[in-house]
Amino acid sequence: MSSIPASAFLALALILFCIGLYGALTKRNTVIVLISIELMLNAVNINLVTFSKYGINPSIDGQIFALFAMAVAAAEAAVGLAILMALYRNKKTVHIDEMNEMKN
Amino acid sequence: MENAWLIPLFPLLSFMILLLIGKRLREASAYVGILLTLASLVFSILVLFERFSEPSYLAKFNWLTIGDLHLTAGFEVNQLNALMLFIVSLVSFLVHTYSKGYMHGDERFHIFYAYLGLFTFAMLGLVISPNILQTYIFWELVGVGSFLLIGFYYYKEEAKAAAKKAFIMTRIGDVGLLIGMILLFWQTKSFEYSEIFNAVEAGGVSNTMITLTAILIFIGAVGKSGQFPLHTWLPDAMEGPTPVSALIHAATMVAAGVYLVAALFPLFTASKTALLTVATIGGITAIFAASIGLVQTDIKRVLAYSTVSQLGYMMLALGSAGYVAGVFHLMTHAFFKALLFLAAGSVIHAVHTQNIEEMGGLWKKLKLTAPLFLIGTLAISGVPGLSGFFSKDEILVAAWEGGHPVLFLLALIAAFMTAFYMFRLFFMVFTGEKRGKQKDVHESPSVMTMPMVLLGILAVVAGYVNTPWFGSFLGDWLVDGNPALGHSHIEGPAWIMIAATVVSLAGILLAYLIYGKRSIAPDWLSGKGDMLHTVLNNKYYIDEFYKLTVVAFVTGFSYLLRFIDVFLVEGIVKGVTGIVQGLGRTGSKMQSGQVQTYGAVAFLGLAVLVVIYALTGGYLR
Amino acid sequence: MNLHSILSILVFSPLLGIIVLAIIPKAQEKAIKAVGFLATLPALLLSLAVYAHFLAGKNLSDFSVSVPWIQFRGINVQEPIFSVYYELGINGFQLLMVVLTSVISTLAAIGACKFIKKEWKGYFMLFLLLVTGMLGVFTAENLILFFIFFEVTLIPTFFLIGKWGYFEKEKAAYSFLIYNGLGSAVLLIVIMVLFAKTGTTNIEMLKQMVADPQLFKGGFKLGLFIALLVAFGVKLPIFPLHSWMLRVHVQAPPSVVMIHSGILLKIGAYGLIRFGMGIFPQQFEKLATLIAILGVINLLYGAFLAFIQTDFKMVLAYSSISHMGIVLIGLAAMNEAGIQGAIFQAVSHGLISALLFFLVGVLYERTDTSLIENLGGLAKGMPLAAGFLLAGAMASLGLPGMSGFVSEFMAFLGLFKVQPWIAAVGTIGIIMTAAYLLRAVLGMTYGKAHREFDGVLDLRGVELVPVFVLMALIVLIGVYPSVLSSPLQATLETIMLGLGG
Repeated sequence: MSSIPASAFLALALILFCIGLYGALTKRNTVIVLISIELMLNAVNINLVTFSKYGINPSIDGQIFALFAMAVAAAEAAVGLAILMALYRNKKTVHIDEMNEMKN
Repeated sequence: MENAWLIPLFPLLSFMILLLIGKRLREASAYVGILLTLASLVFSILVLFERFSEPSYLAKFNWLTIGDLHLTAGFEVNQLNALMLFIVSLVSFLVHTYSKGYMHGDERFHIFYAYLGLFTFAMLGLVISPNILQTYIFWELVGVGSFLLIGFYYYKEEAKAAAKKAFIMTRIGDVGLLIGMILLFWQTKSFEYSEIFNAVEAGGVSNTMITLTAILIFIGAVGKSGQFPLHTWLPDAMEGPTPVSALIHAATMVAAGVYLVAALFPLFTASKTALLTVATIGGITAIFAASIGLVQTDIKRVLAYSTVSQLGYMMLALGSAGYVAGVFHLMTHAFFKALLFLAAGSVIHAVHTQNIEEMGGLWKKLKLTAPLFLIGTLAISGVPGLSGFFSKDEILVAAWEGGHPVLFLLALIAAFMTAFYMFRLFFMVFTGEKRGKQKDVHESPSVMTMPMVLLGILAVVAGYVNTPWFGSFLGDWLVDGNPALGHSHIEGPAWIMIAATVVSLAGILLAYLIYGKRSIAPDWLSGKGDMLHTVLNNKYYIDEFYKLTVVAFVTGFSYLLRFIDVFLVEGIVKGVTGIVQGLGRTGSKMQSGQVQTYGAVAFLGLAVLVVIYALTGGYLR
Repeated sequence: MNLHSILSILVFSPLLGIIVLAIIPKAQEKAIKAVGFLATLPALLLSLAVYAHFLAGKNLSDFSVSVPWIQFRGINVQEPIFSVYYELGINGFQLLMVVLTSVISTLAAIGACKFIKKEWKGYFMLFLLLVTGMLGVFTAENLILFFIFFEVTLIPTFFLIGKWGYFEKEKAAYSFLIYNGLGSAVLLIVIMVLFAKTGTTNIEMLKQMVADPQLFKGGFKLGLFIALLVAFGVKLPIFPLHSWMLRVHVQAPPSVVMIHSGILLKIGAYGLIRFGMGIFPQQFEKLATLIAILGVINLLYGAFLAFIQTDFKMVLAYSSISHMGIVLIGLAAMNEAGIQGAIFQAVSHGLISALLFFLVGVLYERTDTSLIENLGGLAKGMPLAAGFLLAGAMASLGLPGMSGFVSEFMAFLGLFKVQPWIAAVGTIGIIMTAAYLLRAVLGMTYGKAHREFDGVLDLRGVELVPVFVLMALIVLIGVYPSVLSSPLQATLETIMLGLGG
C-alpha cells in the first residue's frame, strides 16, 4: 500500500473534485447537481484521509474530520432533497435554471 | 435726580397694565396712560429744575459680563438729557391727553395707549442712557414703538406697507450705528460716552477711525431722523393715527437722530470730514424735502416733509459746529411741530379727509384750531417774535460762521420754501370757499384743544430762552462746564437775521397772493414747469429708484440663490443618491438567481486567488 | 440625596414614563397624555434644582459621577487597557443646555397634547426616549457615552417624523436619517481614532493628550477636526449640508419641530464648542477665517432664501439656517464675546424657534394652512396669536430687550475685533432678517383678511402656557442676560485657556 505515492491520491481527489464542480455548475437537473456536490465532498474526504496518513505530522485528526464531513454530507443530502421535493411540488420542475427565486 | 430712572418706568408700567387688563378698562385705559405720563412729566420737571443747580448725575450697574469685559447699564442726567426728558415727557403727556378725544370709539383704544406707553418708555430710556450700547437698545425699541403705531390700523394695506418700510429703512441706518458703535468699542474699550470722549481727546483713536465711526453712527441718525437718502419712510409713516405722527414722527423719535449726534458731539468735532458730512446731508435734506413739500396735497404729508426739512436744518446746525443752535431748534421744533400735527389732527377729526383740496373755509368753523394752527405756521415760517424765528436764526448764523456759504444759501432758500408751503397749507385749509363734502364740521372737544393751547403758548414763548436780544440762557446752560460742545452763542452779522425775516415774509406773501388772494393762478408754477411739478409730485422718484435697484436686486439675488439651492445643493444630493442607486441597481441585476452562475463566479474568484497566491508565494506587498 | 446620582436620575427619569406608558392601554388618550407630560417634569425640576445649586454659589463638579463600565485589552499584553467609564458631569455651559432641553421638552409635551391626533402611546414613548437621549448628550463626559446618547436621539426622531408628520413625512424622515447617519458615522470614526490612539474617551483627558505633539501630528489633527466640523456641520446645519433640515422643519409635527429646532440643532453647536474648540483649539484657530466665512454664508444664504418663501414654515426653516450662521460667526471670533454670543444664540434661538413653531402649529391646526398669502389679516381673527407671532418675530430679528439681540450683538462684537470686513458683510444679514421676518409675519397678520376667520379660535387655555413661558424666558434673557452669562464664565475661561488667549 505504501507503494502508492500520495500524489496519486491527491490526483484522484483533484479529478473527482473537478468532475463534481463541472457537474454542479453545468447540469440542469437538480438531482445531478446534488450528486455532483456529493462528489466534491468526497474528493475533500480523500484529501483529508491522504494527509492524515502522508502529512508532515500524521495523525488521526484528518480521518475524524472525514467522518464529520460524511455526516454533514448525509444531512445535507437529506435537507437538499427535502428542499428539492418542496420546490418540485411548487414548480413542477427539477430544472435548476428555472429556480431563480433568489433573483434581485 | 437719583430717582430719574423712574421716569421711563412709569410709561412702561402703563404699557404692561394696559396690555394685561386694558381690554377690561376700555376707554378708561386713557386715564392710566395719562396719569402715568403725568408722573413722568412731574419727575422730569423736577429733574430739570434740580439740574439747574446741581452737577450732572451718573449711576450704573453691571449689565453683562463677557470674560473680563463688563458692560454696564445705568442712567445719566446732564443738561441735554434733562432737557430732552422734559420735552419728551411733556409732548407725550399732551399727546396722551389729546388721544383720548381723537381715538374715542376705536375698538383697540387700550392697545393704542399701551403702544404709546411702550414708545414713551423707550424714548425716555433713550435720552437718559449713559452709554452708546444702551442708547442703541432704546434706539431700536423706539423703532418698534413707531412701527407698531404706524401699523396701528393693521387692516389697511397702506399702513402695513408703511410700518414695514419704516422698520426696515431705519434698520438700515441702525446697522450703521451698530457697526460704528462696535468699532468704537474696540478702539476705546468702552461704550461709555465719557470714556469714549476721553479716549478720543487723548488721541487714542486714529483720525480715519474717528471719521469712519462718526460717519457710521451718523448713518444711524440718518435712518432715524429721515435724512436724505433714507427719508422715504417718514412721509409714509403718516399712515399712523395723527397723535402718533405728532409724538413720534415730529417731536420725539425722529429727533433722536439729532439727539444722537448732539450726544456724541465731541466725537464728531474731532473729525472735520464727519462734521462736513453731517452738515452737507443736513443741508441737502432741508432743501430737498422742502421742495417736495411745495406740491403735496395731503395735509399730513406736507407736515411730514416739513419735518424732514426741519430735521435737516438741525443736522446742518450740528454739522456747522452749532451745538446750541441744533439742540435749540430741536426743542422749538418739538413744540410747534407737535402743535401743527395736533391741529391737523383736529382738522382731520372735523372733516374726515386729509386732502387739502377738499378743505377750505374752515376758519369760521374751527374757532380754536385755526388760530392755533396759524401760530404753529408762523412759528415754523420764522416770523419774528415766535420761537422758530430765534432757533432758525441761530442755525443760519452757525452755517454762515461755520464757513459753509453754499449750505447757508440752501438753508435760506429752504426757509423761503418752508414759509411758502406752510402758508399755502394754511390758506388752502382755512380760508377761501368751502370745497369737497364737508358736513357737520365742529370744533374738537376740549380734551383735544387744551393740549394744543399749551403747545401754542410754548410755540410762541419757547424761543425767548435763547435770543440774541435778551441773552442766551439755554446756550450758556447747555455748554456749561463742557468746552467740547463749542460756544454758547455764536455772534453773526446782523444782516443774517434781516435776510431770514425777509425770505420768510416773502414766502408768506407769495403764498398769500396765490392761495389767499388768488391774484396769481395756482398753476402758475406748475404751468411754467410741468416737468418740475411732476418730478416734485413724485418725490424725485426716490421710491421708484429704490424699487428698481435695491428691492429688485434683493429679490433677484434671492431667486438666484433659490436656483442654487434647488439645483445645485439639491442637485448634489440627488446626484449622490443617483450614483448610489445606480450602483445598487447594477449590482442587483447581476443577481440572476441562477445558483450555478454564482457557483461559477465563486470558483473563478477562488481560482484567481490561488493564481495570485502561487505567483507571489503568499505575501502581498 | 446623594448629589452624584442626581444627574443619572435627571437623564433617565423620562424612561420611567416609558415604563408607565407601556402598561397603559392604547385607547386611554387622557392618561397617556398626562403621563407623557408628567414624565418630563422630574427632569425639569431637577435641572432647575441644579441651576439653583449653582446660583447658591456651590460647585457644579459636585454632581459628576464616574463608574467603570467597559474594559478590554488588545491581544498583546503590553497594550494599554481600553476602558470606558460611565461618567456624567455638568459645567456651566452644559447646565444651560440641560435647562433649555428640559424646559423645551416639557413645553413640547404640552404641544404634543395639542397637535398629535393619533397613536399617542407610541408618540410619547418615542418622545420620552428622545428626551433621555438629549439630556444624556449634554451631560455625557466621554465621547462613547456621548455617541450612544447621540444615536439615541436619532432613532426616535426618525420615527416621530416619519409617522406623525405631514404629507411628505417619510421622505423627510429618510433624509433626516441619511444625513445625520452619515454625520454620526464620521463622528464615530473620529471617536474611534481618538480612542485607539489614546485609550481614553474622557473629554478632559483627551484635551491634554491630544495637545501632546508626540501622539498627534498637526496635519492629522487638522483632518480629525475637519471630520468633526462635517459631523456637527450636518447637525447645525452648515451650508451646503442643510437640505435635510428644511424638509424636517416643514414636514415634522410642530411639537417635534419645537424639539428639533430648539434642541437637536443645538447639539451641533454644542459639539463644535465642546469637542471642536475644546479638543482641537489650534486647528479651530487655523480654520477660523473659513468658519467665519461659512457663518456669513449661512447667515446671508438663509436670509435671502427666507425672503422669497411662500410657506411660513419654510421661512422659519431658512431663518434657522440663518441664525445658526450667527453661532458660527461667534465661534469664529475665538474670543470671549464671540463664544459667549454663540452660546447665547444657541439658547436664544432654541427658545425663539420653539415659540414660533408652536404658534405655527396652532395656526395650522386652526386654519389648515401655513401659506403666508392664505393667512393675511390674521390679527382680526386671532389677535393674541398674531401679537405673539409678531413678538416672536421681533425676538428673532434681534430686537433689544429680547434674547436674540444680546446673542447677535455679542457674536458681532466678537467678530468685529478679529475680522471686521467679514463681519461688516455679515451685518447685511441683520437688515435682511428684519426684511424677511416682517414680510412674512406682516403678510400673515396684517393687511386685509383674505378669508373669514369666523369660528377660528384664538390661543386659549393650556396653549397659553408654552407661549407665556417661552416669551418670559426670551424677555428675561434679553433684559437680564446675566442669568445666562454667569454660569458661562468658568466654561469660557477654560476654553480661552485652551485657545491660549
